[in-house]
Amino acid sequence: MLAYPLIAGLLFGLYFSLVGIGLNLVFGVMRIVNLAHGDFLMLGAFVGFGVFYLAGLDPLLAVPLAFAIFVLVGIFLYGILIPRLQQSVNPEMLSIILFFGLSQVIEAVMTIMFGTSERSIPSRELGSLISKIGKLLGASPEGGPVVILGQSFPAAWVISAITSVAAIFLVYVYLYRTRLGTLTRAVMSRRDEALATGINVDRVCAAAFGIGLALAAIAGVFAPFMFGSVTPAFGADATVTSFVIVVLGSLGNPLGTALGGVVYGVCYMLVQTYLSSWADLLPYVLLILILLLRPSGLLGRQVRVA
Amino acid sequence: MSPDAVPILKVNDLLKRFGGFHALDGLTFHVSPGEILGLVGPNGSGKTTAINVISGLYAPDRGDVVFDGVSVGGMASHKLVHRGINRTFQIPKPFLSLTVRENIAVALAYGRAEVTPPSTAELLVDFHLDAVADRPASELNSAQQKMLDLVRALATRPRLLLLDELAAGLNPTELDWIAGRIKTLAKSGMAIIVVEHLMGFIEQITDRVIVMNAGKEIFEGTLAVAVKVPEVIEVFLGGEHAA
Repeated sequence: MLAYPLIAGLLFGLYFSLVGIGLNLVFGVMRIVNLAHGDFLMLGAFVGFGVFYLAGLDPLLAVPLAFAIFVLVGIFLYGILIPRLQQSVNPEMLSIILFFGLSQVIEAVMTIMFGTSERSIPSRELGSLISKIGKLLGASPEGGPVVILGQSFPAAWVISAITSVAAIFLVYVYLYRTRLGTLTRAVMSRRDEALATGINVDRVCAAAFGIGLALAAIAGVFAPFMFGSVTPAFGADATVTSFVIVVLGSLGNPLGTALGGVVYGVCYMLVQTYLSSWADLLPYVLLILILLLRPSGLLGRQVRVA
Repeated sequence: MSPDAVPILKVNDLLKRFGGFHALDGLTFHVSPGEILGLVGPNGSGKTTAINVISGLYAPDRGDVVFDGVSVGGMASHKLVHRGINRTFQIPKPFLSLTVRENIAVALAYGRAEVTPPSTAELLVDFHLDAVADRPASELNSAQQKMLDLVRALATRPRLLLLDELAAGLNPTELDWIAGRIKTLAKSGMAIIVVEHLMGFIEQITDRVIVMNAGKEIFEGTLAVAVKVPEVIEVFLGGEHAA
């Protein structure tokens, strides 16, 4: 009985890690609270709808497309919004107001364009291209449920979890195995010192902001499969969930989000299984508990260094 | 230092305001290649603000900073690094999550392109950081963090080095050693501005000092002469030095 919620929680948890990691990357590098994070996730879901309903393709193909689009959107938005914000006396506080406004604008524009209806994609369509290729090679079965330790799970959950692990691994490679990543960690560590070292901090931050938004967008591609459907109002809830995951792991430490995501995912599934009517309260209860008991997050990293 | 050398840095009539407070108020001075200039004064006299404006951390509200004949007032810090200006911080701020080696490697990639960068190994040995090369900078003690901050600045091959209270917290042996290193750097042609409270250290290394008070220069010359000027004694050194 416990195996199902635990395994499902792990699958969801890996996905939740992807949901939160972009928010934490942006906060870690720029100390900017992106309250529109969930809205970029929602926009990613609409890229998935477009790929499936307009182009008739496997929604999985929306992942690289959403990534490419939102890296560019992020770099553009960074250029017009952030340098001005950073010059203010209190950029963190102003960023909350600015991105809250941006969130409202995105939701309103999407509602005007697409209405308030719930939108979804049939679960079997995710990874249909892989199934077709497999069938051509005579190796893969139909895209039905996947059995793990005797428990059956939708293939879409497994694909989402695998893609999330791959994305988190690539974030690790970016941060710890590339020159841009070293510079990004340098800026995360000390912005002033990075400037004094000669690093073009704006360029490094623009890349991190673009990658952060793009990670949210690719998480959004999977949202209709993980939550059943998505509306333009989905962003607000996604932002709250992302904050809980980030705070659980450790604010300012992107890879800590992986731990926060898994803990949140397992709690989410346990509550869904045993106390389903309380499930909507979970993010808020967890947020209050972690802030009261361990405000620096499970990995215990201090956010500010004097 | 040659007093007649063409200054590499000229600071003209610098004004920097924070609200109604004038942190710098008409500050004017110059420094030449190979010269070690001391900026001294009581707390709040504007020494660190001057360093922050010259290094591009703050834009001046009035006046100009001319480096090597080019006006650079208000230019971004990272661009000034490429032109050959670098600094250390009063509270050293190494990249804590990076190792000592990574900290230096990042800095070596920047700075003056026309000068061949020293090797990481060379810098580690020269500044006694080789034993901690692969440790995160967060594990260094305060003296080691100061050395790393200095190495980080030197790795960018500056022509003008701004040292903000580098000596504070170092023991006498470390002070003698770092004084020798600073003099060697100046002999190689580097212009150096030192902000410091330790008068013995200032006397040991500087060619000339500017005494500041309330954002203004109140004296320029050697420290030996400064300590005999009544205005300097009054605002900075204290009454007991008058005798």
